[in-house]
Amino acid sequence: MAIPVNGSAAGSSSPGLGAIRTAIRSLQFSQLADLLDNLELEIAASGASKPEDWPYAVHVLSHVVNHDLNSARFVWKRTAQTIKESSPELVAAWKIVQNMWTHDHAGVYKALKGFDWSEQVQPVATAISNDYSSCMLRLLSTAYSTVSVADASGFLGLSENETVTFLTQQHGWVLDPASQMLTVRPMSSVVNKKADSSQLQDLTEYVFHLEH
Amino acid sequence: MDALDQLVAQVQALSGSEQDVAHLSSLLKQADELLRTHALRLPFSLSSLHPTKHSLGYLYLLEAQSSGTLTREQSDSFLALASSFLTVCAPEQIRLAPDKFNSVCRRLRDQAMHLHEPMRAILPLQCAIRKLQPSSEYLTAIHADYLQMCLLSKCYKASLSILEDDIFEIDQKKTSLVPRDFLLYCYYGGMIYIGLKKFSKALEFFQHAITAPTTALNAITIAAFGKYVLVSLIQNGQVPPFPKYTPAVVLRNLKSCVQDYLDLANLYASRNIAEVKRCITQHEEVFKNDNNLGLAKQVIASLYKRNIQRLTQTYLTLSLQDIANTVQLDDEKDAELHILQMIKDGDIFAAINQKDGMVSFQEDPEQYNTCDMTQRLNNEIHHIVCLAKKLTWVDEQVSCDHAYLSKIGRDRPRYDEDFDLVPQKIYTNI
Repeated sequence: MAIPVNGSAAGSSSPGLGAIRTAIRSLQFSQLADLLDNLELEIAASGASKPEDWPYAVHVLSHVVNHDLNSARFVWKRTAQTIKESSPELVAAWKIVQNMWTHDHAGVYKALKGFDWSEQVQPVATAISNDYSSCMLRLLSTAYSTVSVADASGFLGLSENETVTFLTQQHGWVLDPASQMLTVRPMSSVVNKKADSSQLQDLTEYVFHLEH
Repeated sequence: MDALDQLVAQVQALSGSEQDVAHLSSLLKQADELLRTHALRLPFSLSSLHPTKHSLGYLYLLEAQSSGTLTREQSDSFLALASSFLTVCAPEQIRLAPDKFNSVCRRLRDQAMHLHEPMRAILPLQCAIRKLQPSSEYLTAIHADYLQMCLLSKCYKASLSILEDDIFEIDQKKTSLVPRDFLLYCYYGGMIYIGLKKFSKALEFFQHAITAPTTALNAITIAAFGKYVLVSLIQNGQVPPFPKYTPAVVLRNLKSCVQDYLDLANLYASRNIAEVKRCITQHEEVFKNDNNLGLAKQVIASLYKRNIQRLTQTYLTLSLQDIANTVQLDDEKDAELHILQMIKDGDIFAAINQKDGMVSFQEDPEQYNTCDMTQRLNNEIHHIVCLAKKLTWVDEQVSCDHAYLSKIGRDRPRYDEDFDLVPQKIYTNI
């Protein structure tokens, strides 16, 4: 089944899908999953079946980009078998979820890069890829004191040479050439510690509550 | 003009003021027989009524029309009619006939299930709950059906809009609710939270199902307890004793109905992975029949985690090989993956040294001095303050209640006993 790229093409297009294309174009991924979920329920409530150009792959990935693998899993589970068989893009999107679920980091990157995403899915896939590698970098720097170059490159989805250059030059990690081990330099994170005066109001209310 | 036409005319005339509608309500209550005899003409009569303006009359006619078995076309058109009615009906009118309203909702559910399209019922039932509820604190009979549809159609997340409302009110008069509706609400709610992996919320729901006042043990309670045991093991590593307010009949008989689950819980306490695995294989048939096999497998995974967590309390550093041996994992790599995942989830704080194959365990780096943490703390306190206010209000209501006062007058001494209705654990968590 071909997914039309420019909404107006063949098939009975649902009006709500326009909002979804806008959300993807403007990279508003936080709302994307809810938009699709709600639209799905509305279509079901009207007794109709999903329009031909329903973005199945985007629906799965919209939950992934919000770190909600559970919901992505349920989207897959409620998709009809015939759709799964006829949409290679959906299957490719599901492969990403599977690899994330089993913590196969290298597999996630392979699944992300290994499919020629349609124009509609591409922005979501890119966002997932960027987000995943920054998450993995954070995990590497908190969970390891030393890590092998091979493992680190799996985590980051880069080649071994790229990994070494990236980590030593941009993050100050140190390579031990003999053992091919990287010594991790923990990330310093900046967090906001300042309290503002609005919290004074809250405190007043708590004290009032305790005394009455 | 025959009796049915007359009734329709009355519905059209008496749907205006509050008084008229009340009068209409008493007329309709006596019209059951009439509606049933004219069942075939009802679709025509319905089309002359407006679902919003004449909600009460529309409700009675729709209910009567949908009784009995429907053909596929009929059930399709009933679904369409009922869905739009539930979305647009006037709340103040339908609240006069909660039993009829529940009946339409239940038929909507049945027909959606019959057509294998459970998702079709989700939005209409969600609207229906909001229409019938005087406020979001009320439980209705529709809650359980709604959650069931969410489960069947695998729309777990959609259910949260209803499930996350705290329920404080159970009013049989306003919602025509029966105990079964409450038990199913707790059971399905717990299952949804399991699906979303929010185990502590799931425990809360199952506990309500187990401790609901009752004089007879029922299947829902037993099924809820099976899941309760498994989720308790996953979440807390043990099954807590029953709270004091558990009904006596449940205390006496429940355990003998779920012996397989309790066997597993006992073995879990030994922390021996091989034993736990053997027990699950041994009782596999039971778990499978109860649809709990997946959950049982998560129990095994949780034991690995718990055993690793215990090591952090004893050691500062430990080799991956030792960890793999102690918690019975296959090899170093497997141990590393487990630890990595636990660090990611914030279950432990540690640094893996791949060069030497060692893990050093650390303290929780959280200093509780960030704005985010303050915000979280504020939200929690705010929530508790609201709850405390609610409790005071209920307390006042009870202490003014005539039936309560006359009972207390009779056996006052019992009241002075140490009779804590809330498990102590809740307090220690704050």
